[in-house]
Amino acid sequence: METKGHPPSPAFAVLLVVDFALHALLRTRPQSRSRPVALLDDARRKAVITALTPAARQAGVEVGFTTPLALARCPGLTVVVPDPAAEAEARAALLAVGFSLSPAIEDTGPGICTVDLAGHARERHEPAVRDAVLRLEALGLPATAGLAPTPLLALYAARETDTVRRVDAPRAFLDGLPLAAAEPPPALIPVLAGWGVRTLGDLTVLPKAEVVRRLGPEGLALWERAAGQICRPLRRTTPAQTFAAAMVFEHEIETLEPLTFVLRRFIDRLAVDLANAGFCAAELTLGLSLSDETRYTRNLRLPEPTGEAEILFRTLHTHLETLHTTSSVVGVTLEVTPTRPLVRQQGLFETGLRDPHGFAETLARTVAVVGPDRSGTPQVDDSHRPDAVTLVAPAPVVPSPPAASVIPIMGPPLRRFRPPLAATVELTGEQPSFLWTPNIRGAITATNGPWHGSGDWWRPDLAWEREEWDISVENGGLYRLINVPSGWFLEGEYD
Amino acid sequence: MTAPPPSSSAALRRLLAEKFPSSQPRPTRVLATGLPALDAVTGGLPLGAITEIVCSAPSCGGHLLFARLLEVTRATRGRVALIDASDSFDPASYSKNAIDHLLWVRGRSVNEALQVADLLVRDANLALILLDLRDADQGALRRLPATVWYRLQRAVEPSGLALVVESSRPTVPSALLRVELQRSHGLSALSCEQSALAAQLEPAVQRHRLQFSELAGQ
Repeated sequence: METKGHPPSPAFAVLLVVDFALHALLRTRPQSRSRPVALLDDARRKAVITALTPAARQAGVEVGFTTPLALARCPGLTVVVPDPAAEAEARAALLAVGFSLSPAIEDTGPGICTVDLAGHARERHEPAVRDAVLRLEALGLPATAGLAPTPLLALYAARETDTVRRVDAPRAFLDGLPLAAAEPPPALIPVLAGWGVRTLGDLTVLPKAEVVRRLGPEGLALWERAAGQICRPLRRTTPAQTFAAAMVFEHEIETLEPLTFVLRRFIDRLAVDLANAGFCAAELTLGLSLSDETRYTRNLRLPEPTGEAEILFRTLHTHLETLHTTSSVVGVTLEVTPTRPLVRQQGLFETGLRDPHGFAETLARTVAVVGPDRSGTPQVDDSHRPDAVTLVAPAPVVPSPPAASVIPIMGPPLRRFRPPLAATVELTGEQPSFLWTPNIRGAITATNGPWHGSGDWWRPDLAWEREEWDISVENGGLYRLINVPSGWFLEGEYD
Repeated sequence: MTAPPPSSSAALRRLLAEKFPSSQPRPTRVLATGLPALDAVTGGLPLGAITEIVCSAPSCGGHLLFARLLEVTRATRGRVALIDASDSFDPASYSKNAIDHLLWVRGRSVNEALQVADLLVRDANLALILLDLRDADQGALRRLPATVWYRLQRAVEPSGLALVVESSRPTVPSALLRVELQRSHGLSALSCEQSALAAQLEPAVQRHRLQFSELAGQ
């Protein structure tokens, strides 16, 4: 039988992460979850262990132990203290998943997110909540969830399950719960134990007025909590206005793996935040605080806006693979510049990039091999200076070919020798007649030239002047020979 | 009952193709070069395979052929990558329009060039890659194990691009098509239009391996 006043179907969900402070830390450390780790609450007068991993529990460590006692039981135990930054990031992840269920959520407490599911189709409640639990697991937060007509009942349900529990019959559900579920005040525990009250059902069979008369206001609050009748309005949390994450490391980081592990967590959470807000990432700003008190910052512009975590992570990973910092990393920040998703229809003959992100990644990897400024689309500078070329980023879309030029390109292309080959040239009259270079030598059988060229004469450091000859050598080659103030050079081979 | 043993290698290939149809390479697709001497024999450059252009004489037209390929791909708006192991490409020898779709990677060594080639052949955005090894360190090229080329061939196979390796002597054992340019230009070539010169190129086909599926179909 349902308690009078309860709505007919579950309308609230609670996402619960037990031992939240511990899991907030573990999710930033690869492979920590399988090791014996204990969380030490050092805020108390006597620091004791407040949370444990299953491996630590198996080794005989228990909640309430002091550090020496715990280490005596398990010498391999890692003792950690709460990290507010890690908890803030984990809280953001929990709320992000909560917002993916409903815009009406409450940050109820550490590791507790209450979601108002009103407005959702009833049959979608449980699958959506199960999906949310899986997403939290993927974000490194093992969670349980409860679905019930009131926030309090949903919290009880989340605490009473290892996965997801739906409460359709509140009375039957509450009757079997231990009294501790309603968190009785310590002063009332012996009194209720004396009355033989062991479960919430034992308490609620007692008349409410009699309980209040004997136990006062605390008794009233406890009875109401035991009856699950409180259906309070949620203190709604506002969604994130910025898309950023930050963390300071306990130990300095010198290798890529721990850094990418944390960044993957950031990206996964920020991707959920972006999706909730209907945004995509246009740019990533990575900041690394270094142990020499300097800071490395890099903006990574994405070739096309995207909200896919895998692509965002690959962009960061590719950049970090090529990065060498002067000292170890002590902190990391990541900020995402949001933008609206690109909505477009590809033209029938449009030849944009098939995979813009893949191309950007390929280019980044290429730069890592050949170095910066050594790859790109060449653009000849507006200058007569020989070999004046700039490399620019490849265009996202190859433009349509224009009409054929009325001035055709003459002669075969030049293969440049960079740097030009120093040459010794024998002249007959004013014409070159024999050529010596380390690789090419022989009689010059025919020549064209000379052509005189000069430029930038108004800039002493850049001024240039040369005489240019096209020569045919007896080996069959066709070359460009130049005479500059510093001597003769073979500039290239026509090919 | 067992089938009688195949009498020739062609019959063996046919038999294997029937037994393992999924292992057959895709039908040969080609990138037409617009050079009559080449297209008439091979149809063009095979896609998903390596073509080697051996430039055995100086000024024999290796880059002229590349200029032609740039023109062809520009018309279809396909992207081209040039991996220039000896940093010898001269953009000023081409019209601006002809290199709008070009990604030029200026290498310093054979190893760098091969690393970049291995990255680029896996990119779905490219239609053609030219790996220019003509003036690269010949000692380093000789020391390369043949497996490097077969691995590159395996990487190219699933892609839809043509990988062209330009070398000064036969270097690529896994090349499906190998052509040789042997004739040098004369000085008069400098006063001819580039497109006319390209049409006069006469690449000699040294090797043209049929793909497995073609053999199976014989």
